Amino acid sequence: MIEAENLRKSFRSRRGEIRAVDGVSFRALDGQITGLLGPNGAGKTTTLRMLYTLMRPDEGRVLVDGIDAAHRPADVRSRLGVLPDARGIYKRLTARENVEYFGRLQGLAPALIAERTARLVAALDMDDFIDRRAEGFSQGQRTKTAIARALVHDPRNVLLDEPANGLDVMTTRSLRQFLQGLKAQGRCVLFSSHIMPEVAQLCDRIVVIAHGHVVANGTPDEIRALTGMASLEDAFVKVIGSEEGLFG
Amino acid sequence: MSVWWTVFRKELRDAFRDRRMVIVAFVVMPLAVPLILAGMSALGARKQVEKLEATLDLPVIGAEHAPNLAAWLASHNLRIVAPPADADTAVRKQESAVVLRIDESFGADWRAGQPARVELIFDSSRPIQSGTTINRVRNLLEAYDRQVGALRLVARGVHPAVSSPLQISARDVATPESRFDLAKQLLPYLMLLLAFIGGMQVAIDSTAGERERHSLEPLLTTPASREAIISGKILATAAFTLLSLVATLFAYRLAFALMPSEHVDLSLDLPLPALARLLVVILPIVMLGATLLTALAAFARSHREAQGYLPLLIFLPMIPTLFLMVAPVKTQPWMLAVPFLGQNQLILRILRAEPVSAAEWAISLGSAFLLAGIAWLVAARLYHREELAASS
Repeated sequence: MIEAENLRKSFRSRRGEIRAVDGVSFRALDGQITGLLGPNGAGKTTTLRMLYTLMRPDEGRVLVDGIDAAHRPADVRSRLGVLPDARGIYKRLTARENVEYFGRLQGLAPALIAERTARLVAALDMDDFIDRRAEGFSQGQRTKTAIARALVHDPRNVLLDEPANGLDVMTTRSLRQFLQGLKAQGRCVLFSSHIMPEVAQLCDRIVVIAHGHVVANGTPDEIRALTGMASLEDAFVKVIGSEEGLFG
Repeated sequence: MSVWWTVFRKELRDAFRDRRMVIVAFVVMPLAVPLILAGMSALGARKQVEKLEATLDLPVIGAEHAPNLAAWLASHNLRIVAPPADADTAVRKQESAVVLRIDESFGADWRAGQPARVELIFDSSRPIQSGTTINRVRNLLEAYDRQVGALRLVARGVHPAVSSPLQISARDVATPESRFDLAKQLLPYLMLLLAFIGGMQVAIDSTAGERERHSLEPLLTTPASREAIISGKILATAAFTLLSLVATLFAYRLAFALMPSEHVDLSLDLPLPALARLLVVILPIVMLGATLLTALAAFARSHREAQGYLPLLIFLPMIPTLFLMVAPVKTQPWMLAVPFLGQNQLILRILRAEPVSAAEWAISLGSAFLLAGIAWLVAARLYHREELAASS
């Protein structure tokens, strides 16, 4: 379970202070897929970065399985599987070596890493490129490698930043099935997206973020009821206040 | 398995798969360094011999005023040639190393027993190119001067020793190993430079490169501590540098074994024990270099920015070498504590086959490792900055 309590984060820039995240609270439960939806620049990536301890919140608190990220960041990280915005796999290593490296950094024994890798290769359909060097991988192959790398330690909680970015239709479909599988195993899945249909199809709960605030939070039905709109798409436009960046 | 070891192994594997990096470290360097040093040494030795023993063409202005002197010089392996139109310009342009001008009144003065005037025209700002030649001509003139002077005294019934109150004899205590040689001055610098920045590509690739390729953020989502990550990267850089250095030193030895011995200064050879001692002297510089480079590259946003700092780092090991060339002072204990200066001194002493005491080893190694430790703290601190991974 991932809990965000009143998170705030500002950045200094030449034009003054920018409030990227301004009081974001929500809860992502085990056995559910939670979607973080918002236009570009709404603060999704910054929120996720605070959840996986890359950034310290100026205010507020992050709890993962009840553990406070500010006090035990390493324990929190070992309970999270993270697909960051930047996929960045090592080009001179094979996909398998990329996964192995992260397995070792998570402190796993080689035999266990091999076993987990085999399972992930089957689940993500990586057979034809697992032993190839990552130089020249397609966007889909890179994303799959990055997901396998993020899940090698079998984490209870899975965070994905815009997982479907740059993927073709077929790969998006298999990714969707993969996330459903993670949910069925009882994991807490949290992903961000700016693409509304993707979120609508997959999520049990939706947290809508705009301008650093949570503007709506609930099941798809609740959000429809809240706005009085029949379609989710209209509901989103209403809560965000504009259509800007939502369908990019 | 500990985290730093995992990072260390991954970074080395990554580095050895980069063909460009491997070629520079294990082909270009091992070829270039021995070629530069051995070539310089061979060239220097040949030039020296040529300048001392080959027939020297000496332009003489007014040779007709002193036929005896000209004949005497010609009998001492000099060939008198026609002077250039403008002697000063010719010397300045290095067309001649030295021009001798004999005064018009030479004959008259000579017969009158007055000092007869000869003039040497040379350029003292080029000691390396023409110093030997100038000395050779000057020595010949002085020899002629003494010889004729002695004959004149004898002719007047005076013992020639009267005019030589001093008998100066010189004894050079330089061992073959300690003779001045440009190649030998250059060897410590090249080794220190290689030790210091030889791992540059690995350091930049594993930090600034990792940022640029966006693989740092995923790396920092693992429970691995940043200290352990940066330690693994630093040690990988150091190991790569050390391997490249060892390859270069062995190539250097091989070059000396293959070169015909009359062409090289054998005192530049490195027997195995000396080679081992050299590596120990250089080891802390390797660590210091790897740590500073990693810290610098962690600070830089991109490959290109990191490479911008390079000229500064090349200059750093040069300072003590320049200092020693300008002011070749006796080794003081405090100098051994100064990085580069201390190593430079120790390398020269090892090449000269001079002993190094345990205390001197301790000062040199201790101070350099201490500095490397401080640099490590800085690097680790830089790696904790929030902007590091989240630059996009």
